[in-house]
Amino acid sequence: MPQSQRDVRNRIASVRNIQKITRAMEMVAAARLRRAEQRITALRPYANAIARMTRKAAQASGAGTATLPLLAERDPCERVAVLLVTGDRGLAGAFNSQVLRAGLRTAEEHRSLGRSVSFYASGRRGVSSLAFRGTEPEGAYVGFSDRPSFSDARRIAQDLIVAYSDRAVDLVEIVYNRYVSPLVQEVRREVLLPVAAAAVLDQAPGGLREEEHQQDGRPTPVDYEPDPAVILARLVPDYVEVSVFRSLLESTASEHGARMTAMRNASENAGELIGDLTLQMNRARQAEITQEILEVVAGAEGL
Amino acid sequence: MAHARFPVEVVTPEGEAFAEEVEMVSTRTAVGTIGILARHEPLLGLLEPTELRLYRSEEEIVRFAQAEGYIQFQDNRALLLVEEAIAPEALDRDELQSRLTEARSALERAPEGSEQQARARREIRRCEAFLAIEP
Repeated sequence: MPQSQRDVRNRIASVRNIQKITRAMEMVAAARLRRAEQRITALRPYANAIARMTRKAAQASGAGTATLPLLAERDPCERVAVLLVTGDRGLAGAFNSQVLRAGLRTAEEHRSLGRSVSFYASGRRGVSSLAFRGTEPEGAYVGFSDRPSFSDARRIAQDLIVAYSDRAVDLVEIVYNRYVSPLVQEVRREVLLPVAAAAVLDQAPGGLREEEHQQDGRPTPVDYEPDPAVILARLVPDYVEVSVFRSLLESTASEHGARMTAMRNASENAGELIGDLTLQMNRARQAEITQEILEVVAGAEGL
Repeated sequence: MAHARFPVEVVTPEGEAFAEEVEMVSTRTAVGTIGILARHEPLLGLLEPTELRLYRSEEEIVRFAQAEGYIQFQDNRALLLVEEAIAPEALDRDELQSRLTEARSALERAPEGSEQQARARREIRRCEAFLAIEP
């Protein structure tokens, strides 16, 4: 039996309300995405300059990188920490679950090699999902996934550096959503600690090398305050902090991108549903009219 | 007498905090307080938390609460990479005070010679330096 006109009309009204909400969320996410993109751009000069200085200090100190504890690989590697970067809120499509899945797969891999795994999680979703699975994270960082600041990144990086330096863990991996475009996020899994010596010392971000060549045509004697080796020892942890910060920013941009896409789909689905329901309502109305006419005709014949 | 001016950039992870020509930069490295004028010799130094002063002129001084970082002086340009550069009036003193207390208790708990201990000491230095800055 077809629903009555009034029932269908009520459903249309409620779907329309939902559509208004999803539209609004889509627009909010789009605005925040733009800001998040700007912050990724804003970080670049700092990150590049840190990389440049690290190379310089490493060259000047002359000593091998072997002396730097954060660059030394541990053998055997027995304890692994996995940092999951998720969001504080859901309604963003597969954004949170794909990080979680990749993180659990990573943990499984390490466990099969006989290593113990501890989790660190940023974002309420990651923390609560881990807790739900009965694996309380070693470190939980929540409340900033909309707009992470550098001090948030530093707090996370410091905890991990402390755990690594004081030998509570031998390897730190990070799993996060890398931002490709508003439509595309890519789950990345990277080794945070030990820092790959090649990444710190050889990486030349595009264009910078040329600029340096011009300046370094004749090597200028540089005054180091204090010793270059001391400067280098501080630059490497900073490199880790910057890496964590970049991952947080990428994850934030991805989250807003994923939410924008999810909400756009939801709005479109709501539109379709409204179309279907309107058709249904018109049919119901027509059926009612036909019914009435039939009754009138039957009544007239009965006279 | 007016000094020659030279370009200074203060860059933080959140973006550029300052980029102008100034007469003098006054800050503190791991070795001690330094003032940098135009045509300083090439320098790469570690910056300690302190009050950063950028002298547009003798009277006009831009001040920042500067966290740890690096200074590079080359080709008559200064580049300061710092983790934070906060305007003195924007400092949250209550928060700094509570962080300081927290860091002090962390220092007591930390085992001797650990990384944890070193980190707590750095945090204490930062909070103390920021609290000493006049608003």
